[in-house]
Amino acid sequence: MLEIEDLTSGYAGVPVLRGINVKLAAGEIVGLLGANNAGKTTLINALSGMVKPISGRILFLGEDISKLTPQARVELGIVQVPEGRLVFPEMSIRENLLLGGINAHARKHRPQQMEKVIGLFPRLGERLTQSAGSLSGGEQQMLAIGRGLMAEAKLLMLDEPSLGLSPLFVQYIFEIIDKLHADGLTILLVEQNLNLTLRHAKRCYVLERGQVAVEGDAETVKNDPRTRSAYLGL
Amino acid sequence: MTELYQALAQGLLIGATYGLLALGMGLVYGVSGVVNFSHGDFISLGMFMCLALYSAFAMDPYVSIIITVPLMTAIGALVYIFLIRPMVGHQFLMVVQLTLGLSLVLQNGILMVFGGEPARTPSFVESKLIILGDVVLRVPRIVAFVVSFALAIGLYIMLRSTDFGRSIRAVHQNAHAAALMGINVGRVQVLTFALGIGILALAAALLLPGTPIQPTQGLRYTVITLLVVVLGGMTNFVGIMLGGLIIGIAEAFGTIYLDGPIGLLLPYIIFVAIMLFLPKGLTWSSAR
Repeated sequence: MLEIEDLTSGYAGVPVLRGINVKLAAGEIVGLLGANNAGKTTLINALSGMVKPISGRILFLGEDISKLTPQARVELGIVQVPEGRLVFPEMSIRENLLLGGINAHARKHRPQQMEKVIGLFPRLGERLTQSAGSLSGGEQQMLAIGRGLMAEAKLLMLDEPSLGLSPLFVQYIFEIIDKLHADGLTILLVEQNLNLTLRHAKRCYVLERGQVAVEGDAETVKNDPRTRSAYLGL
Repeated sequence: MTELYQALAQGLLIGATYGLLALGMGLVYGVSGVVNFSHGDFISLGMFMCLALYSAFAMDPYVSIIITVPLMTAIGALVYIFLIRPMVGHQFLMVVQLTLGLSLVLQNGILMVFGGEPARTPSFVESKLIILGDVVLRVPRIVAFVVSFALAIGLYIMLRSTDFGRSIRAVHQNAHAAALMGINVGRVQVLTFALGIGILALAAALLLPGTPIQPTQGLRYTVITLLVVVLGGMTNFVGIMLGGLIIGIAEAFGTIYLDGPIGLLLPYIIFVAIMLFLPKGLTWSSAR
């Protein structure tokens, strides 16, 4: 479904990512691991079109999307749930969800899509008029994921969904992620939490200083000594 | 007592239009972080367009808006795309400098075309009055009040319950997240700026009947608008409308109760007094 070919990308022409090759098959859940500053967020921002490629290509469903605007990519179904959730704090849950489905492709099906999201997160449905800024961190993460689903995502990219959440909420969020995966959604899971990711993702890539250091199935990655060194920065 | 009622009524009427002028500036500031110091000169431009249309076709200012609103909206879009957008994201002062320069260009452009003599644009409502007890109200001011409030309410509804309005608020609250929703942030910024200038074309026609105009008046409107926007907490919708009414009333009290320069200073004195006690402006709301 997604193929990143030899991607070099960064800010103001300074490469952060160098020669990245990553592949995702449809329906797969893949983990993207690495320490702080390894380039994980830059990579999904490159996929979202927020960071421009310097060289290399990104193919989505066989089509080169590396020149497309962020809007066009959302319309294709490449949807990011950003780190820190970034819900619109002064808007209600309902408005946040409506904004999630504002792209030209998803706009027509918003009522049905909203019912699905509320079915997944009944807690959001109970307080649709409450402002997003007044929600707890865990609830905001639910809203951020719900908002991403409103866009009719084909590829959902979750950036650090466990960040700053209580263990109970982390467990709940990852149950939801498993459920979405079981329903056939393709998921790219960006995480710092190694063990958590290895439990849920079938395959993983470990980034180190903007390059793929280790790749393979969860077991391989877990046992590879380079994974540990990528984390410790040795 | 009559004077008090007269001052209050006059202030409220003009204040609604001040509020409307400031809403345009506040919206633009909210989505692009741009404070447009040529705001008042665009009002001027709108007024002189009405004058030109009157001179050429004897068109009433209220009718001219059919032409001036679309024209000014288009001018707004072009100014944003070609002049302001290249500056956004750089130093805030660069944009200030640019819009100040634009102000001088507009002012002198108008001076070249129309000359420096104060001019008037007649309107069919110009000399009509409504007398309520002892209070005398000019019909054009009442029209301006009603239309300004109707437009403010319309804008409010647009921001609350349309996709375009929600996009504007999303860009204001978090432009990065808005882009991730598939909102074209650049487009929202252009359209908001164009909308802000389009509103000025309407406001110009509302302020025009009975008011003599001259090319150098723009700065006065810019300053009034700035006072109102700052008073209203920059982006707080209700705060801005309230700020408009306060400045309008202060102006009316100043001219009716005080002589000369001190009277003209009253809005500024009130402004400074309010800002001393409420540095964030009239934003009392709990929703931060």
